[in-house]
Amino acid sequence: MGEVWLIPAIPAAAFVALLLFGKYLPRRGDWLAIGAIAASFVIFFPVLIDLLDNLDQPDFTGGGRAWEWVSLDAFNIQLGFHVDQLTIVMLAVVSFVALMVQVYSVAYMRGDPRYGWYFAMMSFFAAAMLTLVLADNLLLLYVAWEGVGFGSYILIGFWHERRSAAEAAKKAFITTRIGDVGLLIGIILLWREAGTFDISEIFEFAEGGGYSAEYLTLAVLLLFAGAVGKSAQFPLHVWLPDAMEGPTPVSALIHAATMVVAGIYLVARMLPLFELADPVALSVVTAIGLTTVMMSVTMGLTATDIKRVIAYSTLNSLGLMMVALGSGSVTAAMLYLFAHAFFKALLFLSAGSIIHATERQDLTELGGLSSKMPVTSVVFGIGALSMAGIFPLAGFWAKDEILNVSGDNQNWVVYVFMMLSVFITALYMTRLFVRTFTGRPRNHHAQEHAHDAEPMMTVPLLLLAALTLVGGFVAFGSVGEALGFPGGFGEFVFLEEAEAFHFPWDVAILSTLIAIGGIAAGVYFWSGEAAPARRAAQSLRPVYRTLANNYYLDDAYQWVINHVVLAGGAVIGWFDRNVVNDTAVDGSAGLGVFAGFGMKFLETGKLPNYALAISLGVIVISIVFLVVSV
Amino acid sequence: MEWVLFALIALPLGTTLVFMLIPSRYSQLVRYTALAAAAAMFLMSLLVFIRYEFEGGSGLRFDLQLDWLENIAFLGENGITLHLAVDGIAAPMVLLTGIVILAGVFISWNIDYRNKDYFILLFALVAGVFGVFVSQDLFFLFFFYEVAVLPMYLLIAVWGASSNFGTFVRTKEYGAMKLVLYLVAGSVLIFIAIFATFTEAGQGTFDLPVLGEATYGETFQKTFFPFYMIGFGILAGLWPFHTWSPDGHVAAPTAVSMLHAGVLMKLGAFGILRVGIGLFPEGAQFWSPVLMTLGVTGALYGAVSALGQKDLKYMVGYSSVSHMGFVMMGLASMNSIGVTGAVLQMFAHGVMTALMFANVGAVYDQTHTRDMTAFGGLANKMPRHTAFWTIAGLSSLGLPGLAGFIAEIHIFVGTFQAGYYWAGALGILAAAITATYILRMLASAYFGPFNERWASLKEMRFREQSASVLLIFFIVFMGMWPKPFIDRISETVNNLPGIG
Amino acid sequence: MIPIENFLVLSAILFSLGMYGVLARRSAILIIMSVELMLQAVSINFIAFAVFLYPDQFRGLIFAIFVITIAAAEVGLALAIVLRLFRNRATANVDEVDILKW
Repeated sequence: MGEVWLIPAIPAAAFVALLLFGKYLPRRGDWLAIGAIAASFVIFFPVLIDLLDNLDQPDFTGGGRAWEWVSLDAFNIQLGFHVDQLTIVMLAVVSFVALMVQVYSVAYMRGDPRYGWYFAMMSFFAAAMLTLVLADNLLLLYVAWEGVGFGSYILIGFWHERRSAAEAAKKAFITTRIGDVGLLIGIILLWREAGTFDISEIFEFAEGGGYSAEYLTLAVLLLFAGAVGKSAQFPLHVWLPDAMEGPTPVSALIHAATMVVAGIYLVARMLPLFELADPVALSVVTAIGLTTVMMSVTMGLTATDIKRVIAYSTLNSLGLMMVALGSGSVTAAMLYLFAHAFFKALLFLSAGSIIHATERQDLTELGGLSSKMPVTSVVFGIGALSMAGIFPLAGFWAKDEILNVSGDNQNWVVYVFMMLSVFITALYMTRLFVRTFTGRPRNHHAQEHAHDAEPMMTVPLLLLAALTLVGGFVAFGSVGEALGFPGGFGEFVFLEEAEAFHFPWDVAILSTLIAIGGIAAGVYFWSGEAAPARRAAQSLRPVYRTLANNYYLDDAYQWVINHVVLAGGAVIGWFDRNVVNDTAVDGSAGLGVFAGFGMKFLETGKLPNYALAISLGVIVISIVFLVVSV
Repeated sequence: MEWVLFALIALPLGTTLVFMLIPSRYSQLVRYTALAAAAAMFLMSLLVFIRYEFEGGSGLRFDLQLDWLENIAFLGENGITLHLAVDGIAAPMVLLTGIVILAGVFISWNIDYRNKDYFILLFALVAGVFGVFVSQDLFFLFFFYEVAVLPMYLLIAVWGASSNFGTFVRTKEYGAMKLVLYLVAGSVLIFIAIFATFTEAGQGTFDLPVLGEATYGETFQKTFFPFYMIGFGILAGLWPFHTWSPDGHVAAPTAVSMLHAGVLMKLGAFGILRVGIGLFPEGAQFWSPVLMTLGVTGALYGAVSALGQKDLKYMVGYSSVSHMGFVMMGLASMNSIGVTGAVLQMFAHGVMTALMFANVGAVYDQTHTRDMTAFGGLANKMPRHTAFWTIAGLSSLGLPGLAGFIAEIHIFVGTFQAGYYWAGALGILAAAITATYILRMLASAYFGPFNERWASLKEMRFREQSASVLLIFFIVFMGMWPKPFIDRISETVNNLPGIG
Repeated sequence: MIPIENFLVLSAILFSLGMYGVLARRSAILIIMSVELMLQAVSINFIAFAVFLYPDQFRGLIFAIFVITIAAAEVGLALAIVLRLFRNRATANVDEVDILKW
């Protein structure tokens, strides 16, 4: 299967077609966008079979054709594609979730004045994301990386008439762009020594000892900065909660299942370099991941916007994946990524159904929806339980895998915090579910019109829910073999050596007990009128405030932007105008004017003065001439 | 085919004569004449770019030599000749000029006050610009350089706009005067260096290929390279000699700003490359750390200044300073990737900054303000205009797929390859700051709730849209398929002396 | 033959007188007359050197005639200016005529 390039090319072609002719197509061309992503999803299967047939061949890249895009001396950018186990996992996730989300969007976005534009941008995003996944060199990856960032910018700001949406889009782009500064520097640093952008050639070069340890450490940490921005890790996580201003299907696709895991994918892909670099690199990855986990779970406890809570849970998941990578386990991270894509997209899309039905998204205005929206409440519950890590849902297997590797490879502090995060995750997911679906409706007007969504929206939900139920079983060797894989997930996706699935009962039982404890505590705190939660918030007022204000990080950044960045801009602008221009430039001009003003008094207008000057001049010249000639 | 370059210079000059024959009350006829001439220039420049032959080795294309003065006084054989030719560096620049003048005529359509005189000056300026790019004779290069600079004074002082910013005032006379004085000061330095070069070479000719063969002492090169670097650098907005540029843009009418930032500033960078680096490679090598430092400083300084601006034209003006800083970085890297990137950036920046100014002008025409905080939600009324602005902005912040990225990535890679790690890192940071000011402007002026004060606003005129689409075509073309540009530029750059 | 020194001394005296007149006098007419004196001093120099150095050539003599011609033209022009000046300002005193300065 040498035609891998078709997978991103078809949505890209759909994007161009929609951009140019979308207006004239029936239904504004939504069928074209969906058809394109469906075609990509179909092509995924021959690619997968091709890879499975060639697993024993170490040189297999599955890329097929490559085009030279830019070529100049040692600098060239290939449009080249690479298929391996990591890619396959990502391809499966991206093409499937994108298809589900686009189908869902047909109903969700119906009647929007920019309906066609929405599908065009969805196609653009899918094309860029699939290119990112398939890229065989770092610069093409960077190109696609910026492409998905742009797609995210447009789609977050899709309803740009809202001030908050415009600001959120800007914030998302600029924040990730700060990380990208590091990413680009890192890529160029890697290129400078190796003379190539090709990822596998860079690996060979690094394994041959081409980079010095310090140089490589610096380079991978800079790459990691890009991942921190894109995957919303601390301290650049602030854009993700705000990004919920976009339409909900966008959040499901971009800010849960695909784009935000690009950072995870990048680190997973480059993990061999992290392993070769100084161990401090992986420690940084772990530390950042763990910080993100702990911050997000606590913020999830107080947020009242239903989408923001899910956004915090996404941060939580991304942090867990980073911890897995910091522990050196691609398998655990990718298994979680795989499972997460389904249950998080499910959570977002069901939240979308709620918002669509009630036009409310604040927990203080919801409640008691389970009777009106039974299907939604069931699938939402499945997603929430999966997020909380309850057997036998996909999230359980993935989360246990991460707990295993962090227990094996990290010190006990990390492990303890991980277990704590399991508890709090269960706690706030329970809160979300309880406040939304049970108890007394807090807004009767919204409640009355609520109903389960139409089939166009419900079918994707059910499919995702089914995958959430069974998706975790791919970890088992027998399941993998039955599907034609060489074994379980660990025997298919790995960094150094295949690892058969093993199931440490102690960890599983402990984490399950902790999660159940979290759920129980959540039910106690928030069911009914949530009196215990109010009391807790009262008695821990400063803590509550800190959490509700996102640890004041947004405020701190805003302060820095207002008082350092913008003030710096204004100061430099003022400096340029008043010092450089008015003083230095106009000043030197003024000096000339002043000199002329002084000199003009030599012009007396009196004829004898001029005559005297001429005479004296002649005499002086004559004397000089005489002296010189004698 | 050799005559196409001569025609490129003769056509705008001839058109100025034709304008003089048209009575000024036929203003519509003047406009259509200008459009026809500009379209012809565009097609010819396209021809020059497309018919560029690769078989000719490193030599010059469309070579044409007309004797003017020789074998008298200090001049030897081929003393001063009208020697016209393009190489891979000049070809994209010629195309750029053709694009921008066509777009500029579209944008100038609604000029009513003495539009005949306006077009006469505009075309004289363009003749000078074409002349600089295609001259292979130092004397004529300088001559056309002056021809390009001087009409600017009248264009700004007569058709420009004075602005009151509350705390300070910028009159159009001030902007025009500062611009011309600054550029003439640069010319003085260039003039000195030209005569020094002529004397040192001792060939009795100003012919650039001949001068390029001559050898110059190392001390001589080190002494006189800064004359070219700063002399031409002033026109290229080299920090800290950039202040004529933002004030000049603010005062200038839209089409003049487009030509000015889009093409005229490129003359400076082109001069540094063609004359400075081309003749004095060792001097350039010696001074490259200084040029790199000034370039990076300009890139960062311009970007941060742009962040502090409320006036759209000031913002674009400072962003030009920033982007020309990237060009200087590319030139200072002194390797084929970086220098190729510098030329790419000259083209990319020329097209996108012209687009930006065209769009600022379109808004200003209707609202008579350029204060971005006074707008809000303009996307509602002017969706296409917003799309054009966004594309220009995204190109300038280096989004892959648009021209700016291709240029900047070459420059950054070249800078790193040359070993200036700090400069490369700061340059990438400057590109990120670019994103900040562009997106801030878009968010505050174009997105968000609609400001009812502008309820009577209309979409851009059709001709302004045509100009924008023309410019966007080239932004996307170069961003998607940069090979035609890179092939032409790198072929010549690799043959420059001292480029490793 | 009279030695050349005599002519040169005469010329120098005449020139100095003329120069004194130009510098010291305030009347435009007198200044013009003094200028004439200086011109004639130069003419004498020309003729003297011409006769002593190249007795068989006319180059110096021609210069003297040139000087006389130019002096005549110059006086014609200068007197016209003085006349206009007197008509306008009722004075020929050059100290009172300084309106062309800044």
